[in-house]
Amino acid sequence: MRAGMSLDDPSSRRQSYRAKKEENRKELKHVKIDAEVVAEKVELPKKRYYRQRAHSNPFSDHQLEYPLSPNDMDWRKLYPYFYDESKGDMTKEVTIADIGCGFGGLLIDLSPAFPDKLILGMEIRVQVTNYVEDRIIALRANNVKTNAYQNINVLRGNAMKFLPNFFHQAQLEKMFFCFPDPHFKQRKHKARIITNTLLSEYAYVLKEGGIIYTITDVLDLHEWMAKHLTEHPLFERLSQEWEDQDECVKIMRHATEEGKKVERKKGDKYVACFKRLPTPEII
Amino acid sequence: MIHPFQSVASNSDGSLLFFVIKNSILVYSVKDSNDEFKLVGEWSDEADSTAIIKEKVTKEQQRQLAENTAKKLKANDGTALPQEHKEAKIPKPGQGAPPIYQYIRNVKLSRDGKWLFACTDSDKAIVMFEISAEDKNNCLRLAKRQRLPKRPNAITTTIDDKQLIVADKFGDLYSFGVNDDQPCVNPEPILGHVSLLTDVAIGLDSNGKQLVFTSDRDEHIRITHFPQSFIIDKWLFGHKEFISTMCLPVWAPELLFSAGGESSIFSWNWQTGELLDRFNIAELIQPFLTENHLAPDRFQNKEGNLIEYSVSKIVTFDSLPLIAFFIEATKAIFTCQINRDSGKIALKQVLEVPYNVVSLACAETTGELIATLDNQNSHDKNFVAFISMDVDKFHINQSKQQKFDDFINSRLSDNEIANIEQEGIYPLYHVASLRKRGEH
Repeated sequence: MRAGMSLDDPSSRRQSYRAKKEENRKELKHVKIDAEVVAEKVELPKKRYYRQRAHSNPFSDHQLEYPLSPNDMDWRKLYPYFYDESKGDMTKEVTIADIGCGFGGLLIDLSPAFPDKLILGMEIRVQVTNYVEDRIIALRANNVKTNAYQNINVLRGNAMKFLPNFFHQAQLEKMFFCFPDPHFKQRKHKARIITNTLLSEYAYVLKEGGIIYTITDVLDLHEWMAKHLTEHPLFERLSQEWEDQDECVKIMRHATEEGKKVERKKGDKYVACFKRLPTPEII
Repeated sequence: MIHPFQSVASNSDGSLLFFVIKNSILVYSVKDSNDEFKLVGEWSDEADSTAIIKEKVTKEQQRQLAENTAKKLKANDGTALPQEHKEAKIPKPGQGAPPIYQYIRNVKLSRDGKWLFACTDSDKAIVMFEISAEDKNNCLRLAKRQRLPKRPNAITTTIDDKQLIVADKFGDLYSFGVNDDQPCVNPEPILGHVSLLTDVAIGLDSNGKQLVFTSDRDEHIRITHFPQSFIIDKWLFGHKEFISTMCLPVWAPELLFSAGGESSIFSWNWQTGELLDRFNIAELIQPFLTENHLAPDRFQNKEGNLIEYSVSKIVTFDSLPLIAFFIEATKAIFTCQINRDSGKIALKQVLEVPYNVVSLACAETTGELIATLDNQNSHDKNFVAFISMDVDKFHINQSKQQKFDDFINSRLSDNEIANIEQEGIYPLYHVASLRKRGEH
């Protein structure tokens, strides 16, 4: 079977759906949506048109767009509502990142919980990113009066390679790693999103006291992530009591698509949260 | 014919030269007064990787068997299937697979000139030698062979030469005690990029603390504290193509020069993170480009005139505010003057050598440049170009080159390893393949 074809979903229909949405995205992705223009309700995207294989090789050279440096990132395009025309600058910067945000469930639940924070999802799969974009466009359009969902957006990117191109040192307050690809094979462990070496990069973009949230339904991966985070000198595990009172943990447990899937299957969900410690004295 | 020299290193005053031919290292001493050469050391890598591969394959087989047992493979009637225990085979590359070269990629001396380190290619190891001038038979004393999980690509040492720092093609960086008796068995990386590491360097900040610099194929230069390698100092942003070479001058510890797959040499104040200058070489290099620099067919434009070239290496001297560099597969060596205060780069000289430069080293204290050349069409002449400073100008030392050619011909013309037929040339050009081609 040719790639992009599926039996119950003739490619022509999917192609035309994707083309239409693409047009829509071009028009609405980077603009403040005008209440006058969007009179009728925008339909939420249908997930079945965005199916893509579940894995993407983080080592390969994708055709990615990323800024030359954090100073070169044009955030206005992602959060037009937070751009101050008179000052020519953003009124806020991104402080919450959902790495590998998938279909965007967490972003959408975090949005009303943190209306004053800018939240960014990063996703490596093109079609999945498109879905989240279309979902946010529809939600923004349908909530024009309240300006809801203006504080979230998504971009296609390889966070394992290019995270420092987007964020300044100590810019982030929270980073989420929800149901990451488990990469079971030992040979593939470097492809995991939590490794000793990548944790130093996360520690660089997180401010002191910032939190890393992890959740997975794979016990082996949970233990691996907890082990590496615990061993890293710049992170400290937070207690069960802390987890129980934290709002984000609550949202994370129930919001994400993967989380819901696990719930339906009555599977286990393992959570571990870590605090960014102060940088020690340089020796 | 004698194989071209793939790589070269020089001690600081140019009195000892280390050359790589295929899987062997040759050490020559040079008497300054009359350019008299003498073989003082040699070593050939006869390591047989079969045993190691076998060990690996057997280990993997055992792991799979254990996994299958755990899964309890059963036949349809429910009885446990017997497990096969064939002896693990050593995989042989099939037709069309890239050839395996048992060769030495590069060599590097410790800062004090007392150690030589060599990166082997398919064997994925660092070979460490103590250099003993007293030993009249062979100055290279093999100390140990440090194996790595992935191919090593670049090496440096800490300021005190106590630690060897190795960057590999998987993006990981390792540190090994130079004086440790035994090689490290299961080395863990001290830092990593999710990208092939192309170069590594060590620098000192204004408080005298060490930092390690790593460059990669994804345009990144990362600066990390050492030994606290979990604390990142900063990234230097500005490159738009892969980086192949970095150079930290002794005469200005805050400066860094870098270059790679684009037409500029970058000058940085790495302590502030500021990009000080971008020296464009597009026009200078024009006369030296050939059809070998045309982009591969798959990535060529409609007109068929897309040219791609890469800076292969930048070097500097201990006391002269100069840099020298060359572009892969060209016959030119460029030298530039650096303004010590502004970091600005200005062209000093363009030197044309008889054949393409393969590798470049410098004798830091005497200001001599040693370039090995792709002389496979020369009938065993012009192995090396010696470029020395004479009243503020560089010139190619023809007589030294001549003497060296004569010496090599008399020494190597019946050497088994060095003599080859045309098809036996080991890869001389690696840098161009670092260019990224976006897949999807």
